[in-house]
Amino acid sequence: MNIKGFIILLVIITNMYAYQLEDKLKVAIVGKIAKFVQWNKPATKNFSITVLNTKNQFFKTLLEGKRVNSKPIKVIYINNINNLKDSDILYISQNSSQNLQSIFKAIKNKNILTISDIRGFAQRGGMIQLYTKNQKLKLRINVSNVKAQNLKIKSSLLRISTLVKENK
Amino acid sequence: MKKFNYTFLTLASLLFSHFLYAEGSLSKDSLEDLLNEKIELKSQVGSRDTAKNYLDSSSAVDVITASQIESSGQTQLTDVLKYFIAGFNATTSSITDAKDHIVSFTLRGMSSDQILVLVNGKRVHTSAIFIENTGVLSSGTTHVDLNTIPVISIEKIEILRDGAAAQYGSDAISGVISITLKGQNSTNEITTHAGVRKEGDGSHYQLNSFVSIPLNYDGFFNISLSGDKQYQTQRAGVDRRVDPADLHTHVGLPESQTLAVVLNSEVVLENNIVLYMDTILNRRDTQSSAFYRILSTTRVQYADGFLPMMESQILDYSGTLGIKGSFIHNWQWSLSNTYGYNSFDYNSKDTMNYHLDPNSPTSFHLGKLIFIQNSTNFDLKKKLDNFTIAGGIEYRYENYQIKAGDPASYYEDTELDIKSGSQGYMGYTPEQKVDASRDNYALYLDTSYKNSKNLNAQVALRYEDYSDFGSTQDVKLSLGYKILPKLLLRTTLSTGFRAPSLAQSNYSHTSSALTKNDLTEEDELLQKGIFTVDNPVSQSLGAKALKPELSKHLTLGSVYQFTNKSSFMIDAFYIQVDDKIIISDKLAPITQEQIDIFAAYGVSTASYLTNAVNTQTFGIDIKLNNNYTFKGGATLNSILWYNYSKNEIINFNELLSEGRAVVIEKGQPGHSVKFLNEYTRGKFNYIVNLNGYSKFYQTLGDTAYKFGAILTVDLNINYKINKAFDISLGANNIFDAMPDKWDRSNEYLGYDGIIPYPSNSPVGPNGAYYYLNAKWKF
Repeated sequence: MNIKGFIILLVIITNMYAYQLEDKLKVAIVGKIAKFVQWNKPATKNFSITVLNTKNQFFKTLLEGKRVNSKPIKVIYINNINNLKDSDILYISQNSSQNLQSIFKAIKNKNILTISDIRGFAQRGGMIQLYTKNQKLKLRINVSNVKAQNLKIKSSLLRISTLVKENK
Repeated sequence: MKKFNYTFLTLASLLFSHFLYAEGSLSKDSLEDLLNEKIELKSQVGSRDTAKNYLDSSSAVDVITASQIESSGQTQLTDVLKYFIAGFNATTSSITDAKDHIVSFTLRGMSSDQILVLVNGKRVHTSAIFIENTGVLSSGTTHVDLNTIPVISIEKIEILRDGAAAQYGSDAISGVISITLKGQNSTNEITTHAGVRKEGDGSHYQLNSFVSIPLNYDGFFNISLSGDKQYQTQRAGVDRRVDPADLHTHVGLPESQTLAVVLNSEVVLENNIVLYMDTILNRRDTQSSAFYRILSTTRVQYADGFLPMMESQILDYSGTLGIKGSFIHNWQWSLSNTYGYNSFDYNSKDTMNYHLDPNSPTSFHLGKLIFIQNSTNFDLKKKLDNFTIAGGIEYRYENYQIKAGDPASYYEDTELDIKSGSQGYMGYTPEQKVDASRDNYALYLDTSYKNSKNLNAQVALRYEDYSDFGSTQDVKLSLGYKILPKLLLRTTLSTGFRAPSLAQSNYSHTSSALTKNDLTEEDELLQKGIFTVDNPVSQSLGAKALKPELSKHLTLGSVYQFTNKSSFMIDAFYIQVDDKIIISDKLAPITQEQIDIFAAYGVSTASYLTNAVNTQTFGIDIKLNNNYTFKGGATLNSILWYNYSKNEIINFNELLSEGRAVVIEKGQPGHSVKFLNEYTRGKFNYIVNLNGYSKFYQTLGDTAYKFGAILTVDLNINYKINKAFDISLGANNIFDAMPDKWDRSNEYLGYDGIIPYPSNSPVGPNGAYYYLNAKWKF
């Protein structure tokens, strides 16, 4: 192979694999988590994911229209928890870290799965926390909080997550 | 047709490659696959904004992760940086007084004290050691002792290859090394290291442990312990002053033993307030030697000759205590205090003071150097839509002390007009004792704008007022613009400064050396000294008060991200430094007034610190980073990095000898290249690295001697026994490349002398090093 050919091959090879942007990967993971959770609420037309206090457009571009439990995903962005309508998943961004307790109060008994990357989220009343370890995203789940909202998580998800047993 | 195919493939690849990893790919992966995906490396240094992909930074930034450090097999921080960073140089030297006891380092060919070091975002204090030997790298400086930070405690190292005084204040001229200690979610581990040089000497052992205790709300309390024992290497030539010629003096790595403890903790309170602290405690004892003193019939003690042994006890500790949180409208705040202490306790043994013969003590306390730095910071930050506004105030206090040695180490008989020091190193005298302090206030503002699509702009301003030389104002403008989704153009323009260190303003020391009198052809014990600028000796030579070094910086670069896993960086830089501080030449008195003053101080030559030269440094970094995953999961990570750095003296403010000018301009390799390759397949991990350095010069008097280019190869094979255990076998410089010997010789220094190798070689004279590492994760 001549030098030119080698360079072109290098360009092609280097275009084949990629690290993922953290924001994008988080959204993809949120989309996958839905498949491991059972909600206990009346059937709705869409599977709705509400995104609180962030403009992360990957929710829209990556998840909107994809299907969970045969229902198309609908993504709703809100800046205030009071604007929340019924939702299957509430993704709480780090911008809301100061308001967690009021958020939890607002969604109490609404059978909504809460996911966030806020530090200590799973211990502060949240259900599924995304955190990084060794440049990879990991899941931390507070099973008590999940059960308290009448949700069920499959054991296969629990097996690949770390669990917070006590809600402190 | 073939040409068309190549062109078509290239264009198609370039244009559509970012779609290959678009949404579809992630959607098809399983959750487990997604949790195994690596996310982009983020950096924080050079900005008060939140951490972002280091490849998107408007300044040139490099990141070294804990995992890379582990794979490298390196056990000292200076070795880690030298291993990964082209243009980073670190040297050890022998028979260079206090310099024997610290590893000096440079970035992009500039001075050691022109690099700012941060730990967890806070300024690190420098060592108390003032390097007074003019023949070595970092002469005339005090710099950070990087090896006080054990590598097992490090989560990430960020290297900013840009001036950043407008953000961090003094010293950030050639760059910033920002170290993040291991924080939450770190794995407990115990590691061991054992190695030996090809020559069979220089054995090195290290035992480290890291334990992380999780606290509520993802808080943590981490403890790192490190014990290190380094035995000496011997690379001296035979001593031809004795008959028969034999090996008497020690040249090579000194013997040392180190114990280090690092604590790092964050306690997260119910209300999201975070209390944070870190502490680094390091104690290092080092033994080196001076030149062998040959037999003397006029001496009773050690009449057959003796080798003065130089011993140091270095105590270094630093600690930060802080609190951070956020209040109304998401304003983030942080209040912290960082205290740093370094002391250098200098002793000698197996030596004597000639004038006290036959009753001279044989061991001496030579004195103690102490540097203390305390910084208090209050920072505020607010993120608006596309803007981040950050600012703060800093108060810093510094103190430098020299404590005198034993009276016998600097014996003085005023009646007989005799001054004589202990052989090897003369103790600090009561006249040289100093306890000098200063403080400074700083006010800084850092704003950044990030258009979500392609524009990233930053303006940083800093005002600083020092109690000893007044105020400075610095500014930094940064701009990054993505002209294509994968192609970033970046540029920065900034001013900077480096305040004269307290040691540079207050250090003085005299030493005695047997020197042959040209007229009588007999040996005379002559005194030479380095004096503070306000000392009458310096004043008689025209010394002026030290001013800060002032700098101007321009960088222009580009990053092309083939993917987030493969990138090409090219960054050109230009740095102009005015009033660079160096030690003057050793000057003899000429006028009668000077002769009288020199006589009063008992010295025959003198030097002092001076803002002697204006310099310009320019160069380029070109870095290709490619991580490739083969079918079946094997990975190949490669970094090809070329650095070119050129120093030039624009003009002299004061007389400077030809030899000193050569050291500044050509004392370090202008070209360096790194080709790092790590291949992982199954349980095995293989590393093959090539390191190349171009020629450099060292001088004796005004004569410059060239030392040729050198290439070294490092190898490492790692085997994961199971999830918890792994072992690795490695070699640094496996083909035992050695620097050229001096192309001249006398009894002391040269190819046939006691010191055959140059002290400033980036490779050093110690040769191949073979090691075995073992690690247990739990």
